[in-house]
Amino acid sequence: MSVPSPRTLVIAACILIATGRGAIQWLFHSAVFAQSPEGNQLSVYSAQSSFSVPLISANGQPYVGLLELLEPLGTVEARPDGKKYKLRFTAAGAREVELQFHDGKDKGKVKNDNFKLAANFVLQNGRGYVPLAGVSELLTRALSTQTRFNPAARRLFIGDVGQHFTLELRPGSPSKLFISFNSPVNPTIATEPGHIRFTFRREPVLAVVDHASYTDPLITGASFSEHDGIGELDITGNAALMANFADGGKTIIVTAAPAPPPPVVAQQAPAPVPPTSAEHPPTPTPAPAEPRFFVLIDPAHGGNEVGAAISPTLPEKDVVLALARRVQRELANRGINAGLLRNSDIAISLDQRAVSANAARPALYIALHAANTGRGVHVFTSLMDPENYSSHDFLPWDQAQAAFLEPSAAIAGSVSAELEARKLPNSTMAAALRPMNNIAAPAIAIEIAAPGDDLSQIASNAYQEQVAQSIAAGIAAVRGKMTEVRP
Amino acid sequence: MTRPLLIMFLVLLLIAAGLGYYAYHLNKRVALEEQQMAQRSQVVVAPASGPTTLVTFYVASDAEGTLRRTQENVALPQERSERARAVLRTLFGRYSQGSSSHPIGAGSDVRDVFFMPGNTAIVDTSAAFADSHPSGVLVEELTIASIVNTLNANDPTIARVKILVNGKERDTLAGHADLRRFYSAGSIAPGAKETP
Repeated sequence: MSVPSPRTLVIAACILIATGRGAIQWLFHSAVFAQSPEGNQLSVYSAQSSFSVPLISANGQPYVGLLELLEPLGTVEARPDGKKYKLRFTAAGAREVELQFHDGKDKGKVKNDNFKLAANFVLQNGRGYVPLAGVSELLTRALSTQTRFNPAARRLFIGDVGQHFTLELRPGSPSKLFISFNSPVNPTIATEPGHIRFTFRREPVLAVVDHASYTDPLITGASFSEHDGIGELDITGNAALMANFADGGKTIIVTAAPAPPPPVVAQQAPAPVPPTSAEHPPTPTPAPAEPRFFVLIDPAHGGNEVGAAISPTLPEKDVVLALARRVQRELANRGINAGLLRNSDIAISLDQRAVSANAARPALYIALHAANTGRGVHVFTSLMDPENYSSHDFLPWDQAQAAFLEPSAAIAGSVSAELEARKLPNSTMAAALRPMNNIAAPAIAIEIAAPGDDLSQIASNAYQEQVAQSIAAGIAAVRGKMTEVRP
Repeated sequence: MTRPLLIMFLVLLLIAAGLGYYAYHLNKRVALEEQQMAQRSQVVVAPASGPTTLVTFYVASDAEGTLRRTQENVALPQERSERARAVLRTLFGRYSQGSSSHPIGAGSDVRDVFFMPGNTAIVDTSAAFADSHPSGVLVEELTIASIVNTLNANDPTIARVKILVNGKERDTLAGHADLRRFYSAGSIAPGAKETP
């Protein structure tokens, strides 16, 4: 064989370089695709629950996971089959709907009718993603209900869930701005000189009018904006402002913040007290808030921290999130208000979980875990050494649970009894499981394993439903004996 | 396409196919070697020579979620630390068997056991013990309870146990059980049972 000419070698080298470059591009694309920029989320509001779903970037635009989007809204069964992705979805009180898409194609089927996506469907690691653009139309078709999507703010409203508010300025000394909602709200509040901002992450708060101006010496304006999956109400004023909640959390009253106390001067005679003006009677002290029974559910793990591998395609983090949503629904069916510490696939550190839980002041904290070892359901209370309990005024971080061991054990026993009543194998024991020791409220952890040898049963609807009902019934049974917490 | 170019293209294609096959073969060989290495690094049970002692073990059962108390004659060294280490290595040896009721990862070993004032034993385990331990609240809790109770049963002066991994403190065993704390022998015994 003759030696190849230089031209031939150059062409061959070009082919190799092009192949290598393509491979590098493919690897780079895969890496970029997997990333979910922090804060890049879609907030979804529905009658059942409000939650946020992480967005990923693919084909140069944001995509949302179909399973993550539909799971909080009903029962979902996803079946990736090669490049096909079939999903069966049943909303509460509705008929089953089938959705079918194909990786790399923009045409799919919803309820056996053709449906065109805004861009190609993406199947990655057994999970199906649809482009965010047009997700409203997809949900309208699948749920048979109207949806409203604000793409710029990344807020999606399913059904008639918008929560509007009214503003009423009552001039006085000081003036007060009454912000009234039709149901209780729990915004994050931030203040800075001349501003007080309310951030609504969970509530589907919407404004009738975006801006309002006042000719008042204290409060000068109010503006509402939506961005990054939140609603934000900014009240501006000429002095430092503060907020009080009234009417069970349905009304926020913004007024002047009290002036800082004057410096204490030794031997100074007390200043005379001015007589109370008849025109401005003293504001009555607001009545203490009604006690509430709030359960905080903590689906363990999340994000890169996947937990146990129940099967090669089923991580613990997904199993416990699905179970947490079921428990929340079952508690709601029994009239118990419950929230999720994590309602999407995000990583939260153990200390962050404890801080968030303690800030929420729940009547009960439940951590949910899943395992591929053991059988049935295991209910845990915190393992603490009695001799290490502190009797100091300040509670050490690692002993925050010490004062709540008795009610925690009572709840664990009640849940165990309900599991027993449903003939589910179960056990109750103490475990050194973080962050239970750091929780300043009654706390239990529940780990579910498959009921028998078939590990896939752990994620089955029937089994999870039985477990969720047992947990909710166990909590409901002891509710009357537990101390309710003031908000 | 000229003939030399076609030949060169085919040659490159053959080289690519050959390299692919070699990479596949290499991958399989590495996996096999890793498996063999893991098997070789499994727990070496305590020395079998010398007089034997009746040793009590608290053996975990994942299916039952309990510890089962069993006894076995084992040859043990005289020195206290070595003795405790040998007991735990025998326990790990049981867990490493194929038919174990509580399997732990290959390469799990006890590097050292040393004692501190206050009847406290520090158990230094191998990195493989934590890295390859099955993840779960119950399964991790059973492992710790088994270690603590076995140590206490054979040396009742051991009241507290701290577990290190490769000489360092670790947050959790495999994502769940807290390894930052000391465990008291009396407070951790999930459903201990006698051997029938």
